Amino acid sequence: MSQSQTATLAADDITLAHRQFVVAENLSLHLPTAQVTAIVGPNGCGKSTLLNGLARIHTPKGGSVLLDGKDIHRLPSKEVARKLALLPQDNTAPEGLTVADLVRFGRQPHQGWMAQWSKEDQQAFDQAIQAADVAELAGRALDTLSGGQRQRAWIAMAVAQQTPLLLLDEPTSALDLGHQIEVFELIRALSGQGKTIAMVVHDLASACRYADHMVAMKNGTIIEEGAPAEIVSPELVQELYGVSCDLIHDPATGSPLLVNVRRNP
Amino acid sequence: MPDKRNALVNTALLGLLMLATIISLATGTVQVSLFDTLRALAGNADPMTDFVINELRLSRVVAGLLSGAALAMAGCLMQTLARNRLATPGIIGIDNAATAFAVASVVGVGLSLAPSAMALAGAAAATAIAFGLAGANGTRGYRFIVAGIGIGAIAGAVTQVMLSRVAIDAANAAYPWTVGSLNARSGQSVLVLGIGLAAGYLVLMSLSRALNTLQFTDAVAIALGTRLKATRMIGLGLSVMLTGLAVSVCGPVGLIALLAPELARALCRPGKVPLTAAALAGASFMLIADLLGRTLFAPLEIPVGIITAIVGSPYLLWILLRPSPRSLT
Amino acid sequence: MLNALSPTSVVASRAFFPPLLAAGFLLLLVVLASLLYGAGPVSASDAFAALMANGTEEAWFVVTELRLPRTTIALVTGLALGLAGALLQSMTRNPLAEPGLLGVSAGSGFAVALAILLGATTTTLTTLVAQLGALTGCALVIAATRVQGLGNDPVRLVLAGATLTGLLLALTSMLMLMDQRAADEIRFWITGSVAGKPLSMLWATLPSITLALVLIAIVARPLAAMALGEKAAVGLGHHPGRIRFLITFTVALLVGSATALAGPLIFVGLVVPFIARAFSGPDIRKTLWLCVPVGPAVVLGADVVSRLIAAPAEMPLGVVTALIGAPVLLAIVRAGRMPSL
Repeated sequence: MSQSQTATLAADDITLAHRQFVVAENLSLHLPTAQVTAIVGPNGCGKSTLLNGLARIHTPKGGSVLLDGKDIHRLPSKEVARKLALLPQDNTAPEGLTVADLVRFGRQPHQGWMAQWSKEDQQAFDQAIQAADVAELAGRALDTLSGGQRQRAWIAMAVAQQTPLLLLDEPTSALDLGHQIEVFELIRALSGQGKTIAMVVHDLASACRYADHMVAMKNGTIIEEGAPAEIVSPELVQELYGVSCDLIHDPATGSPLLVNVRRNP
Repeated sequence: MPDKRNALVNTALLGLLMLATIISLATGTVQVSLFDTLRALAGNADPMTDFVINELRLSRVVAGLLSGAALAMAGCLMQTLARNRLATPGIIGIDNAATAFAVASVVGVGLSLAPSAMALAGAAAATAIAFGLAGANGTRGYRFIVAGIGIGAIAGAVTQVMLSRVAIDAANAAYPWTVGSLNARSGQSVLVLGIGLAAGYLVLMSLSRALNTLQFTDAVAIALGTRLKATRMIGLGLSVMLTGLAVSVCGPVGLIALLAPELARALCRPGKVPLTAAALAGASFMLIADLLGRTLFAPLEIPVGIITAIVGSPYLLWILLRPSPRSLT
Repeated sequence: MLNALSPTSVVASRAFFPPLLAAGFLLLLVVLASLLYGAGPVSASDAFAALMANGTEEAWFVVTELRLPRTTIALVTGLALGLAGALLQSMTRNPLAEPGLLGVSAGSGFAVALAILLGATTTTLTTLVAQLGALTGCALVIAATRVQGLGNDPVRLVLAGATLTGLLLALTSMLMLMDQRAADEIRFWITGSVAGKPLSMLWATLPSITLALVLIAIVARPLAAMALGEKAAVGLGHHPGRIRFLITFTVALLVGSATALAGPLIFVGLVVPFIARAFSGPDIRKTLWLCVPVGPAVVLGADVVSRLIAAPAEMPLGVVTALIGAPVLLAIVRAGRMPSL
């Protein structure tokens, strides 16, 4: 267990726009503490925009995002970075950067103006490397790694930030099955350590399996919110994606599985 | 933090710079031995050597050193801000604009401010215009660069006009300005440059963490707690200031702002913006180019701007024309 | 062969002829202005009287011996550069591809400087050298655009061109430093200007320009097909490689002639097709037709401006074209996305 505090993150009646184009209006959302929340929905529903709004990357045109009850845009960015880490969708890094270099960046929010690398920094670094299981890869350049390994390195950086909140934007969309499982299991492990996690997930089945709480969005509004087992239904799937399906439950995990997904006649 | 490599590189570059400095001081119409040069700098040489080194040559070498360092740092900054290794202040016409304003001051057109101040004003004006025309992406889009080409062309044309309209003496005095030369510097400009460089360096050192995060996407930088807008503004402002002050000393010497950071990046670890290494490399390049210009076709002196263009352009063309899609960012 | 040049449909041509006629009319006005106005002591009314065969000996001399040749040279230069720019942009599918920006003019200028340094004195020789320089520059540019990844990145190409121009200018400066006598003569060639150039230069370039016009007539329809993409063009029975070679050669002829006549002028090859395309749309054949009156009008107009704006002195033509062209470049950039070709 690395972080010493908990923090809450909520959106209070926010309106988000992307270059004059209103993406979401009057959204309110409260992330349940120490749980994994998955934000799902069809393309263009605003889920990435919402996540970026929560992470203060986008500034809402109306309403406010509250970190521990305070407006996130009024807080110094560095202070926010000590409570909130983000894994954005686009992860380009300078050529030749090693895993160790990347993870070290995660300590920046904790380092003062002219501060040197401290013992706490080293401890956090070591813990992050262990947690993401990238110890053997530490000296390798990011561009030589597989997709799954690269994502784990980025997650290690976010872990090194030692924040109680972690937001991930489509952490597995470019990964094959094996790497997807790798990353999702790491996310669950981090949640087990007490982090509050929100992730935008493309694949509904993965969201069902790995999330405690699900937020379903369409056209910029939240149409359903709750535990996957409670809210996922053929009706929801129809409304989100415009396809019919049958629902069964995974014999091993109990989470909802979609079968016989078909276009409507 | 294990950073031995960068420290090693900086030391090596410092050594190179010192070597270049000594050789530059020793070389000229009167050849002075390296040993005597060192003695002259320490104040222990005979009056003749002392005069040659300390009175005639020292100021030129210092001017070259400072302007090379400033140009290189400005380039390094601009490349970090634009996330493009080809970005230099020169590309957006700052060099030409600063030159145009400085020439105006030299030939007596317009406000009678010192060339330093005028060059700075020119650099600032060009940046403001390029920025204004660049639209949403600011320094990171292509519009910034293309706008800069246009501004550079206009500034170049304006300089030509001024030179063609004034008396022949004034035009000749202003000529070195237009190609980049260490001949036309004024002591005052060099002093202002020195102060600006020192101050700029201190500010940049304190900003270095934030600058390092700029190498990632905006979202990552913000997520790590960097104040993006403030960092960009300061970075751009410093880049403009350093270029303006450097141009006021040596004119539009091209390509140092591109080549020195390239060398620095090649030698140093990835992940850190190599400002110090770039500055040291830039200073060395300037001195070496000036040395070549003075000695290659002696007694004919080729302005340093022409040397850097001839030597540096092929390398730049090679970078630009290599068929690798990821080579620019 | 003329069919290859005619616009594609009747409906289109109805929309096409008004701009063409307007441009032609504008050209006539500019020609008149060029004959009437100048920096010297002969005023417009004197010149007009001379044209009407009623004027003084002096006015007649100025109009026929000074302004008429100058006008003709400016017209031919504008024609050549405008067409060259349109061809280059269509072939590289890059709205910023301009012989001046890409270093072709600078290459031509450098070749001339080198020739003068090495002792060339006759007009024919320097004209030939200018064309060879332009040909080399063109070939380099076309080779550069064939490099993978560069075709889709207009800015990178322009940066390469700017670098090449910088290199060539530096080399030219160095040549000028090395030889004082040659320096003055080189400066005469290098400064973009149509003033004081003898008509013999025009005769020297006429064969090249005529050949270029013939080649354009041949190449226009295949070039229009190439705008659909190389594979589509091959499907229609054309040979892109051959076409590209012919166009390179044509552009070299045109730019070489223009540079031989007026020195390196930047931005003309950008401004003229830009204006033409505003009325002609993406069809290269219409664009080329429109460049015929627009090109000369632009250069001659710029020359008239250069005479008047700083009277009684003259501003060099190269400066005026830069001052006109840069805002156009900025306007192209401001338009948001790159205008498609």
